[in-house]
Amino acid sequence: MRVKSRLIAFSAALVAGTMLGSVASMAQAVDAKRLEMAGHDSKDWLTYHSSYMGYDYSGLDQINTKTVKNLEVAWMHFPGRTTRGLQSMPLAADGVVYYSSSFSRVFAIDGASGKVLWSYVPKLDEDLIARQTHSPYNRGIAIGDGHVYVGTVDGRLIAIDMKTGQPAWDTKLVDSQKLTVGFTGAPLFVRGKVIIGSQGGEWPVQGTIFGVDAATGKQIWSFSTTAGTEEAKKSWGNDTWRIGGGGGWMPGTYDAETNTVWWGTANPDPLYDWAGADIKTQGARPGDNLYTTSVLALDPDTGKLKFYHQELPHDNWDFDSALGEFMMLDRGGKKYMVHVNKSGFIFVYDRANAKVENVWPIVHNYNFVKNIDPKTGELIGRRDFVAGPQQEPLCPAIAGGVSWNSGSYSPKSGLWYKVGNEWCITLEVVKTTPITEPQVQLNIGANFKMAPPPSGPIYGHLDARDPITGKLKWEVKYNAPPTASVLSTAGNLVFLPDAAGIIHAYDAETGKELWSHNDGVGHNGGIISYMAHGKQYIAVETGFGGLVGDDYGSMFGEPWKSMPRDAGALVVFGLGSDKMATK
Amino acid sequence: MILFSRAAALALLLAAAALPARAETGAAAPSDPTKNGEILFATSCGWCHSDGGREAGKGPKLAGTTRDDAFIINRIKNGKPGAMPAWGKVFDDAQIENILHYIRSLPSK
Ligand code: HEC
Repeated sequence: MRVKSRLIAFSAALVAGTMLGSVASMAQAVDAKRLEMAGHDSKDWLTYHSSYMGYDYSGLDQINTKTVKNLEVAWMHFPGRTTRGLQSMPLAADGVVYYSSSFSRVFAIDGASGKVLWSYVPKLDEDLIARQTHSPYNRGIAIGDGHVYVGTVDGRLIAIDMKTGQPAWDTKLVDSQKLTVGFTGAPLFVRGKVIIGSQGGEWPVQGTIFGVDAATGKQIWSFSTTAGTEEAKKSWGNDTWRIGGGGGWMPGTYDAETNTVWWGTANPDPLYDWAGADIKTQGARPGDNLYTTSVLALDPDTGKLKFYHQELPHDNWDFDSALGEFMMLDRGGKKYMVHVNKSGFIFVYDRANAKVENVWPIVHNYNFVKNIDPKTGELIGRRDFVAGPQQEPLCPAIAGGVSWNSGSYSPKSGLWYKVGNEWCITLEVVKTTPITEPQVQLNIGANFKMAPPPSGPIYGHLDARDPITGKLKWEVKYNAPPTASVLSTAGNLVFLPDAAGIIHAYDAETGKELWSHNDGVGHNGGIISYMAHGKQYIAVETGFGGLVGDDYGSMFGEPWKSMPRDAGALVVFGLGSDKMATK
Repeated sequence: MILFSRAAALALLLAAAALPARAETGAAAPSDPTKNGEILFATSCGWCHSDGGREAGKGPKLAGTTRDDAFIINRIKNGKPGAMPAWGKVFDDAQIENILHYIRSLPSK
């Protein structure tokens, strides 16, 4: 009957309307309070590492060891122009996914349907990008107080209205046209401020961390990672702090209890100094080179340094502390901060003062030091160089014992899931002159080549370990080290998107593989889980290339030899609605 | 609204411009083109062209290249988007010539 069917259609529309309405009204503002309250049971992914606790963990469990076999692609999104693949960490709030791609393009997408709600494509200085090395990828965004924040490789920080996708402000922070570097790392939103660190490292600049007002875009403070204090300047002979490198190219985290931002800094340049044993008095940058390769505790309101620990004084190996992986863990009445150094050594700190509580290696092949004292953090038997070819390969390789993508800590299993890389380089140290005119350029100071470790062929491994003691529970090996982030969930699953393009799901307790799917191109970015319309999803970024992955073709052959460097998508998995019942 | 934070940008610019006068550098023998090219190569190219250009890495092996001078000079000046940066605004023609000399000096085995 006609009337009846109309009525049904009408009521269906009504229901749909109310549903939409209720979703919208469910959405509360993402503000400082909500970010600080977000724990490990959150249905959202509000900040780079899921919450300020830094776990990269989802409390959702619809997708679990029993149901994961029914996981299938729910939707995909192709941002286009994905040079060097997608390398960011998506965020999710109230069923909406926000993410950035190469060239700082930003998208807001309905998390259930994949429908694009808005997109934002900034106009960038393409002539500058053509001259950049660590570019044009973007490693993520922050949300808070009604905006999405994104940095650009031409030195700007941009705020976009979360609802409309319209730019709210656009602040130039770094003179990238002169310094060549800008921002690739995600910002961190902290109580009405946006904090972002510039690139630096092997670039003869002063890498700087900025604090910007989230409402207006006005810069409030900056902290030079090579000259932030008088103490720092004194640790660089011949005033080399002026061009020391440093910077902070990944976001840190925020300890709300003490109102402290923790940020890791990058290495000094040139990468390989030639002072031999006389690193304090001779060579390219005599001294400890504060605050490069350090963890900094900053006051988010003023940018003032509260305390710090330099993980590798006079870093001679490009083993940044800039990897922003900081985990807040409480155990036995103690409050720890666990931080990952690119060398593959894990530093466990007292959260009150960055006093070293433990240091342990996640890699088996290292010889840049004999060891790091687990009680004091002191480097034992460090390996410094004089100019010329080095006899023994240097381990780990310049690509790091760990790379910049994140591991994941499950409070449910008490285990931290993290990739370690076993590889080395042959090395010839060359005395170079920093290039600062007419514009700054790379200052490497060496010739090198990837080389196998003493233990055998190059490989990577996903470890399940106690994050404080380093005790190993299980391990999965890969011929080519995985380059993407890891996700663990309350469904007792660990997801690892590998470099060949396979996404794997493992049992979090045993490491047994329960599911896998071929995404068709390598993974080099983030992975998250979120809830939309009452259903759990897994979102993973695909696309390959970058200063680690670009070596894979010559090291491992196919599929990397022919793998495109401009093919990336956001791939989202969910359980079919009939299949959720098997939970 | 574009807020250019002039002070910060200026400070960074100044910092870059003011080279430390006494820092020990490797500015050796600029009179020898190959040596000069070798140093420039180890400063900015060696990351991608492994073992000083002797092996394939992120970029191809350059030792023994069959490309002609014009191709090599053009590639160095203009790079290739997404793969290799452009150096035409960084190095002058003489420096690029020196780098070419260095590449040609590599053993072709
Ligand atoms: C970020 C990595 C990177 C850096 C830095 C880099 N290159 Fe390259 N280079 C590449 C890649 C990748 C290619 C291959 C481009 C293609 O697809 O044809 C290449 C190609 C070349 C070629 C052409 C080779 C051929 O036979 O096609 C030359 C010559 C060259 N580079 C020289 C240099 C010099 C000189 C420098 C330093 C001033 C330099 N490159 C810095 C990555 C790099």
